[in-house]
Amino acid sequence: MKIGLVTDSTSDVPASLVEKYQIEVVPAILVVEGQSCADGEGISRREFYSRLPGMSVPPTTASPSAGSFVERYEKMLRAGAEQILSIHASSSLSGIFNAARLAAESFGERVRVLDSGQLSLGSGFQVLSAAEAIARGALLDEILALLESVQARIRVIALLDTLEYLRRSGRVSWAKAMLGGFLDLKPMIELKSGRVEKMGAARTARQGKERLLGLLRETGTLERLAVLHTNAEGRARQLLAELNPALSTEPLIVNVTTAIGAHLGPNGLGFAAVKAE
Amino acid sequence: MSVDSAGAARAKRLKQMQSLPFDGQAFKRLVEAGLVWLRTNQQIVNALNVFPVPDGDTGTNMVLTMQSAYDEIRDLGHREVGQMAAAVSQGALMGARGNSGVILSQIWRGIARGLQDEEVLTGPNLARALADARDTAYKGVVRPVEGTILTVAKDVAAAAEAALQETQDPIEILEKVVAAADVSVEHTPELLPVLKQAGVVDSGGKGLFFVLDGMLRYIYGDPLNEPLASVQPIAAMDLEKAMHEVEPGQDFEVVVDFHPAEELDLQKFYGELEKMGTSIQVGEGDGMYRMHIHVPTENRYKPIDYIMGMGTITKVAIENLLAQMDEINRQSEPDRLELANIEPGQIAVVTVSPGPGISRIFASLGAAAIVEGGQTMNPSTQEILAAFENLPTDKVIILPNNKNIILAAEAARDVTVKSVVVVPSRTIPQGLSAMLVLNPDGELEAVAEKMIKSLGSVKTGEVTTATRAVEIDGVAVEHGQVIALLDGKLVLAASTVDEACLSLLEKAQAEEYELITLYIGADLPRAEANRVADIVREKYPEQEVEVQDGGQPHYQLIISIE
Repeated sequence: MKIGLVTDSTSDVPASLVEKYQIEVVPAILVVEGQSCADGEGISRREFYSRLPGMSVPPTTASPSAGSFVERYEKMLRAGAEQILSIHASSSLSGIFNAARLAAESFGERVRVLDSGQLSLGSGFQVLSAAEAIARGALLDEILALLESVQARIRVIALLDTLEYLRRSGRVSWAKAMLGGFLDLKPMIELKSGRVEKMGAARTARQGKERLLGLLRETGTLERLAVLHTNAEGRARQLLAELNPALSTEPLIVNVTTAIGAHLGPNGLGFAAVKAE
Repeated sequence: MSVDSAGAARAKRLKQMQSLPFDGQAFKRLVEAGLVWLRTNQQIVNALNVFPVPDGDTGTNMVLTMQSAYDEIRDLGHREVGQMAAAVSQGALMGARGNSGVILSQIWRGIARGLQDEEVLTGPNLARALADARDTAYKGVVRPVEGTILTVAKDVAAAAEAALQETQDPIEILEKVVAAADVSVEHTPELLPVLKQAGVVDSGGKGLFFVLDGMLRYIYGDPLNEPLASVQPIAAMDLEKAMHEVEPGQDFEVVVDFHPAEELDLQKFYGELEKMGTSIQVGEGDGMYRMHIHVPTENRYKPIDYIMGMGTITKVAIENLLAQMDEINRQSEPDRLELANIEPGQIAVVTVSPGPGISRIFASLGAAAIVEGGQTMNPSTQEILAAFENLPTDKVIILPNNKNIILAAEAARDVTVKSVVVVPSRTIPQGLSAMLVLNPDGELEAVAEKMIKSLGSVKTGEVTTATRAVEIDGVAVEHGQVIALLDGKLVLAASTVDEACLSLLEKAQAEEYELITLYIGADLPRAEANRVADIVREKYPEQEVEVQDGGQPHYQLIISIE
């Protein structure tokens, strides 16, 4: 049974791995100053984050249409896939899962759509686990069981430079409530059960980094790790060097995709980690 | 055109429309009218975009979805309405953008299902199509929420079903449907609290209304290219809110009450006003109208002159917005503390604060109760106890924020039946650091442990005036000198606040840290505080320097270094 794998650009799977495992990636849509473009095309991540604070109109994002998923599924089925597994960003935070779900309706059992409950590599590590399992020749049911286990072991935490972008995104109700905050805070957030939860805040980048390190260490032995950032590569490398984790897989350093970063703002630092079983 | 002749023209057109069969080509024109009218009012819909997952602007997303639907059918020659509807559905699905766009595409999918194999649109098949539209729309979302476009789709279907009792004519049913959509949209804030809070109706629902209303306007022959000018009841005019939306350059607010000599032509009225300014609102009550507008200085008399020519002006108010904005900003500083609402089972933090500014900061970080007190006014065990006894949870953390209050806090812990942990913060900066790691839903002991650990992440400086001559820790102090304490230990005496502040920062090795926060005491004039802050900024260009109004007595400055 040949299984095809689909995800969207918010999974942040590095291009080399996308190619290696032949993963189909449907881009989310980013609207910058009135111009729509596919997430990852037209404007580089680095350029986007440098320009973000100065944009007069805050950028917005949109889910790709169900039609673009239909096209992708059809293409893969024509190319010989017998089953398709389509893994997407948390349905509570984005419409992408829903667009894929609606697109899948007309394909019946052949297309299986999974809500990762996560973003960035929190989702991407599920995609990679699936890709490796497919390469091993696993059956769809085995893969789904594996992903359930992986999903339960994922931790995604980030330190934002400011709450402003998250609040403006309208996706997180508590961010609005913290508007009355008087101190200049760097909020910490955790992506849990598909939602963005607050984990307090730090006053300085160094305090924030120490807390990230503490959280990583308390997570225990790791199977996979990605240090995530929004244009803060130097700090990301430093965090990884200080943690110096013992890992069976290569740790990733990822400048988070623009469709997510638009809601987080630049200079964010965090991680996606999968605990060892 | 007078009202009568316009009415006659509309009646004639209506008759003409009713005499023609509603086939696929007529359906195409309806879809186009829905698209055009939605696009005309796109900004109105975008402006409503406050809820829950604004995946971009609702109006724009719905227009793009409709555009894709129309592009699919533009060149189609189908005569059968069923085939045309199927093509609309396909186009909408391919181009659906955002949540509202996706739901809109599902509505078209349902309509196409209801009209499958139909040659012409009839009353009964229109009602069936709208019922199918409702069903597919609800299935189109993972977790349906009422008070949204879904509710409007539901109410519209119900109205069509009910109308079928009286008529089989699709146009008459569409009239009922549009009226029901209007009512349903206005009702959305009653179903969805977040809309009510924001004072808006649901944007997706409003967008659906425009699509349906555009079809009806096309049938009536009403123009589709001018946005809807609206009149609201005078009581509903929210001029306060308009105040907060002042655009640069619009310096004056003009409000005119008037009785028009003839019935007001709203389109024309809005059109003229739009040439003069922004934030236009028109209200009506008892035959009297109220016009509100923001204009640049040079236009401040124009709205009055214009309205003068239309009837009798009863009242005019012109205000300088910039001056008024300052006033509002001053007034809106909250006197009341917004303390965290703790639910049973959550952790409540009770904190001691010596000044209103510091209390506000604690409250903004999630403190559930605040006990006034500090260096010279240590609160009693009873006062601390009273602060948390009535909170609806039995998990409590106390932050004394002063070494002389720790014992009273521990005594309060020992006499209550609640589970209480005292996190022994000795200074305000320590207490604030502890607040930053608070997770109200966590496990009490674990959270307290994190808070205790955080106490060491900050250094505290305090600057005050000596009340008597003394020598402690090798520092000789004269009465009236300014003294500085670092983490509770006397480290120096100086003659001025800025001198004490700088020497203190030096002793604290502030250059090794990232952030210096100055909490200004009640006795230090603001200008003096700003001067001290500027000196600190100059001396520590690498560090961030933040100034906060602390409002504490006796201590000119509390300083956190982290």
